Amino acid sequence: EPEERVRAMFYHAYEHYLESAFPYDELRPLTCDGQDTWGSFSLTLIDALDTLLILGNVSEFQRVVSVLQEGVDFDIDVNASVFETNIRVVGGLLSAHLLSKKAGVEVEVGWPCSGPLLRMAEEAARKLLPAFQTPTGMPYGTVNLLHGVNPGETPVTCTAGIGTFIVEFATLSHLTGDPVFEDVARKALKALWKNRSDIGLVGNHIDVITAKWVAQDAGIGAGVDSYFEYLVKGAILLQDKELMSMFLEYNKAIKNYTKFDDWYLWVQMYKGTVSMPVFQSLEAYWPGLQSLIGDVDNAMRTFLNYYTVWKQFGGLPEFYNIPQGYTVDKREGYPLRPELIESAMYLYRATRDPTLLELGRDAVESIEKISKVDCGFATIKDLRDHRLDNRMESFFLAETVKYLYLLFDPDNFIHNDGSVFDVVITPYGECVLNAGGYVFNTEAHPIDPAALHCCRKRKEEQWEVEDLMREFYSLKKNKKFTLQRAADHGEGERAKDPEDAPSEKGGEKRNFKKSSHSLLSCPSQSFNSKLAVLGQVFLDNT
Amino acid sequence: MTSVSSLIRVLLPKVQVLKEDEAREEIQRNHSSCRAKDVTMPAKLPVNFFSTRSPVIDLFRGQLDYADHLRQDSEIVLYFFYAPWCGQSIAAREEIERVASRLSDQVLFVAVNCWWNQGKCRKQKHFFYFPVIHLYHRSFGPIEYKGPMSAVYIEKFVRRVMTPLLYISSRSKLLDFLSNYEPGVLGYFEFNASPQPPGYLTFFTSALHSLKKDYLGTIRFGVITDKHVAEEISLVRSGSVYLHRHVNTSLIYPNDIMNYTAENICKWALENREMLIRWLRPHGGKSLLLNNELKKGPALLIFIPYNPLAEIHPLLDEITKVALEYHNCNKSQAAEPDLQHLGDTDSPAFDSSVPDAHMKLSETFSITKYPCCNTVVLPQWHSISRTHNVCELCINQTLGVKPNKVHVPHCNFLEIEAALDSFYLQEHTFFQVISNTIECSNFLSFYSPFSYYTACCRTVNRHFLSFISSEKTIFQTPKVAFSSHGKKGNTQHSIPHIEDRNCFIPDLHITGTNITGLSCRTNKTLNLYLLDSNLFWIYAERLGASRSTHLKEFAAIVDLKEEVHYVLDQNRSLVGSTLENFIKNFSILYSPLKRHLVDDPSVHFHEQRVITEVTTNTFHDTVFLSEKNVLLLYYAQWCGFCASLNHIFIQLARLLPPDNFTVARIDTTRNDLPWEFMTDRLPTILFFPHQRKEQSVKFPEDFSVNLPNLLKFILHHSSLSSSEPCTKECLHKETVLQQGHISHLEREIQKLRSEISALHQAHDQLEAQLSEARREEHRLQQQKHALEKQHKTLQLHSEQLQATYDQKNQELLEMAEKLQELADASENLLKENTLLRILVASREGRLQSKDEIKESLQSEQTLSEDNDVSVSTATATLEVKRIDNIDTIETEHSSGNRTE
Repeated sequence: EPEERVRAMFYHAYEHYLESAFPYDELRPLTCDGQDTWGSFSLTLIDALDTLLILGNVSEFQRVVSVLQEGVDFDIDVNASVFETNIRVVGGLLSAHLLSKKAGVEVEVGWPCSGPLLRMAEEAARKLLPAFQTPTGMPYGTVNLLHGVNPGETPVTCTAGIGTFIVEFATLSHLTGDPVFEDVARKALKALWKNRSDIGLVGNHIDVITAKWVAQDAGIGAGVDSYFEYLVKGAILLQDKELMSMFLEYNKAIKNYTKFDDWYLWVQMYKGTVSMPVFQSLEAYWPGLQSLIGDVDNAMRTFLNYYTVWKQFGGLPEFYNIPQGYTVDKREGYPLRPELIESAMYLYRATRDPTLLELGRDAVESIEKISKVDCGFATIKDLRDHRLDNRMESFFLAETVKYLYLLFDPDNFIHNDGSVFDVVITPYGECVLNAGGYVFNTEAHPIDPAALHCCRKRKEEQWEVEDLMREFYSLKKNKKFTLQRAADHGEGERAKDPEDAPSEKGGEKRNFKKSSHSLLSCPSQSFNSKLAVLGQVFLDNT
Repeated sequence: MTSVSSLIRVLLPKVQVLKEDEAREEIQRNHSSCRAKDVTMPAKLPVNFFSTRSPVIDLFRGQLDYADHLRQDSEIVLYFFYAPWCGQSIAAREEIERVASRLSDQVLFVAVNCWWNQGKCRKQKHFFYFPVIHLYHRSFGPIEYKGPMSAVYIEKFVRRVMTPLLYISSRSKLLDFLSNYEPGVLGYFEFNASPQPPGYLTFFTSALHSLKKDYLGTIRFGVITDKHVAEEISLVRSGSVYLHRHVNTSLIYPNDIMNYTAENICKWALENREMLIRWLRPHGGKSLLLNNELKKGPALLIFIPYNPLAEIHPLLDEITKVALEYHNCNKSQAAEPDLQHLGDTDSPAFDSSVPDAHMKLSETFSITKYPCCNTVVLPQWHSISRTHNVCELCINQTLGVKPNKVHVPHCNFLEIEAALDSFYLQEHTFFQVISNTIECSNFLSFYSPFSYYTACCRTVNRHFLSFISSEKTIFQTPKVAFSSHGKKGNTQHSIPHIEDRNCFIPDLHITGTNITGLSCRTNKTLNLYLLDSNLFWIYAERLGASRSTHLKEFAAIVDLKEEVHYVLDQNRSLVGSTLENFIKNFSILYSPLKRHLVDDPSVHFHEQRVITEVTTNTFHDTVFLSEKNVLLLYYAQWCGFCASLNHIFIQLARLLPPDNFTVARIDTTRNDLPWEFMTDRLPTILFFPHQRKEQSVKFPEDFSVNLPNLLKFILHHSSLSSSEPCTKECLHKETVLQQGHISHLEREIQKLRSEISALHQAHDQLEAQLSEARREEHRLQQQKHALEKQHKTLQLHSEQLQATYDQKNQELLEMAEKLQELADASENLLKENTLLRILVASREGRLQSKDEIKESLQSEQTLSEDNDVSVSTATATLEVKRIDNIDTIETEHSSGNRTE
């Protein structure tokens, strides 16, 4: 019953938050009080909301929904991180909105295309829109929720702070019908794509006014991580080939320049020379992402590397120097981050390898033994001696606990493989919802991809389907049926091949390689994957 | 006067006051940030990891120095270095305790917390993982244990460290030692000299050393102390070391080439050892073990439950025997029956330094027992004789006793007779016989519960060697159920198997057709591996072993290059003969083995599901045998692009008329399919039109997967259309279709109705919201008005207050002026007063001088009294006025503050 231990962990932290810290953003576990960190949104409560449902606590979910409706106000004079507000607040509210029917909340007739939580998410997202008003379309990092971008605000934003919006914003646009969110998110993504280096890498920080790279370290971790994640997840959620082809190009460059012996290092974005031989805790999401697109073998090999670091310290230090095999000065902390566990959950879906459950077991033991205090779970300030810090980040309940629980509970509704589903009648037509395939945003808030096809369903498509159905019931077929290309499918300008971009970069090498298969597909698993469990890895013969 | 100046200061700007307030706030903020930043907590102090009653000494404060001290008292010490937070350490704790409880009288178990940063251990040792187990044999060590964290394996290893050498004191022990499948190294030392023969200690150390290198301990070390026993393996000189090999020539350690050191002996043994069959024990970390082994070529993986502590391993012995036979390539030269394992006297690999030793060796003994065989020429009436006319009948005698004898047992005539009888009786077990082949079969003897016999039949007029080379042999395993299970109860050895020897009918050379030396005669040589199913059953399950079976025995041939694997029928017990047949069937040119397709047993057929879940087993029925058009989706649960399409396929399945269409899907990760139906990308959508199932079409990959596209794709390829003139049947069809359409439309109408009602509800809801909003607006407007009014009055009030303030201020200034005046006046009065007093005094003086004039005295006195009274009255009035003034100023000030 490891999942019961995880459940107990959740409630230990959650109840102490409610008791001692609410309505502040976060619990401070050593002093048993609260503090505002990313705004003043009762962040931990918003972030933990869908975890409640995943643990099956319907009544508490309902209670929190009503508390949030009354208590949270975004008309506040607070300087908030655009990125964090999006992934935690907008993402948290969106997923809670989409799950609220499942949780037994009495929903409006227009659900999932309307509802109080959706309106809150939209309100929060609108507060972020002023940040996108830049010459490049890349957003500022910080915005004042009441006054917009502060005069004198720094124009330097990290790459992830620019490219981590498409999942939430496209969902918002599809649900509300207002395209502005998806548009700004896409524009920002394209600006990054346009500014990649000649060898196909992006740096760490960029000036959103001048589009000059301020920090030129390229890697897959801090400052960049969720940009790549959202290219893949956006492609899956929106069936978008362009996003996927961008990712695949990056993936090639990442493999070429940063990958060494299944580790990923940091390199100079223009030259490709190694700048830091370091593994970062945040990079541990990568194997999970790889497994989503079917690169399970590589994912598992990298995962096993990362797991050795966990075994050395009982957690993942923010930075780990690979050649030295030890932590990096000032970066020895482990704030109970979820990334490695997240990857374990994805990989367990793909391989059912008991090694992954073992990591889960190790994580439960470590977190309980090291960071559990009377008032919750404390950030590990230093993995070398397991000193604790007075903080419990909201992602501990949003992500770490959630992924742990999902790792141990393969029958959770989140893992639904499509064998069950709900049918919902909306004023816009009939929708099939909750059929699985949930896309987690980078704060582990699941989005039902089916919901995106529910609200904006075009009337023409419905009529077309009706028309086609008539054919099924007639003996004579007089029409010729030609399929519509993906490009004709209303995606408009965005359906343009991203290969256009290189022309201005004089990239002659890029065009000849047109893969014959669809970008939106995974390779089948190889024969030797049958035996690739319990640490066994296979080198591919190709 | 001081009071006045202070009063005036109060009227100065209020800025100062505000500054003070800010400062107070500043302090508070500092205070709070102080709290936020600096609170940290050191790690909890270490506590006992093992219970205090445990036989393991728990140095939970990492006292490594004390641990070293403890080591001096015990011959064998096991250190268990752990980290208290580590899951693996916690899991291994129990196992260590179990071992400790069994060996605590001979071995000292010390657990050391090597994590706590104040402890000695952490300061001196740098481990990358936990737990780490180190063993010491006296001063020798550390020997790290890297095997499975399971009590039996650990105990076995500890016992190996305790007694790294086996003492071979007799010939039978020698035979036992040599017959083992694991490589063995023997040293011969004469112990008549004291204290110890030269080189013995080195040999002993090399045995320990080998445990360091080869943590699985597959090389066994033995020492012979008896001269006669040593002679059996041709060791004459004390101090010689001998590496026993079954198939290749055994070796003697070349003292003259390599230095006689523990490391060298160990290295030599490791390099030259013979691995006929290897244990695979993945350690759980990232490893290329299987990759490296399986890339060598096709591999036979044999899963058996293994207890390293067990005295005997009958199944393992049997498998070993098969392995030995399989690798025994020098059979043709082994003319003499005795030359079983060391028979290759002319081998070029022969170690020239010890020629005579090997000459002798070859004649010394035989490990494997010999069956008793007889050739039977079949009479014409026998059914087998239609295709075969010669059978070789071998009787395998009681296997309960391991033959220690060096000579071949003689055939018992009676037994042959009996076997013959039962062979004729069981003639029916030969079926489907094909000419030019050899048929082998095993029978249990009716006459002796401890024996069985083997029959191999063939046509004798063929040149036997021809089919040896062509290997066109099919072995038909008889379907007769051997009563082997029942027999197992009697004796573990009496399991039927093929035991065939070449030596009985030398002119026929029938050896080529059986397992002996097969590895050298086939181009599909198998590497043989053993896996402990207690630890690695998951690999068996991955290859298709049934999950429900109690008996965890399984065998599979994996060919990584060809991407196929074959599985030994799990319904048959894993015994030597079945294994042999399995190997033989794999080896022959046109192998009858079929690629094993793993399927997902957890899927059950659900009638009510909208999408039919297909597995390996149901694939053919659902797709090809059904009378419907089938749309089949290949998917995998982990593939993001598949899962996000779920809702589209559900919609499609709900839409299509179920009488004519099946929407199905198959999870390709859990279900293998025949090559022709495999796909290399996921998702893949195939359409199998009714009546043309073989002409399946694939949904083009560059089109987006959505409902209209899927419908068009199906319409385009489905076989509904017909241009033939309408017959009665067609009319009937038409009506059925129309009925289907009607019901579909009815469903649609139903849907639309509910949509309309939803719309209505939404409308109502909106209406309600709208009116509420209007009410709200109205209310807000009213509120606004009220607020505006209030605002106005407040403004008025504030103006008034301002006016009053100004007025008061003015008054105050006036007052101050008046006060000044008054003060001046009072000063004047005081002066006047003094003047008056002086006047009075002078008058009094004058009065005194005028005393003499007594008549005027009385009138003068009255006048001075009057003057006194007037002065005191004036001072009092002044005092009252001043107090009044202060009051006004204070009121002024506070009201000013309030307006501010």
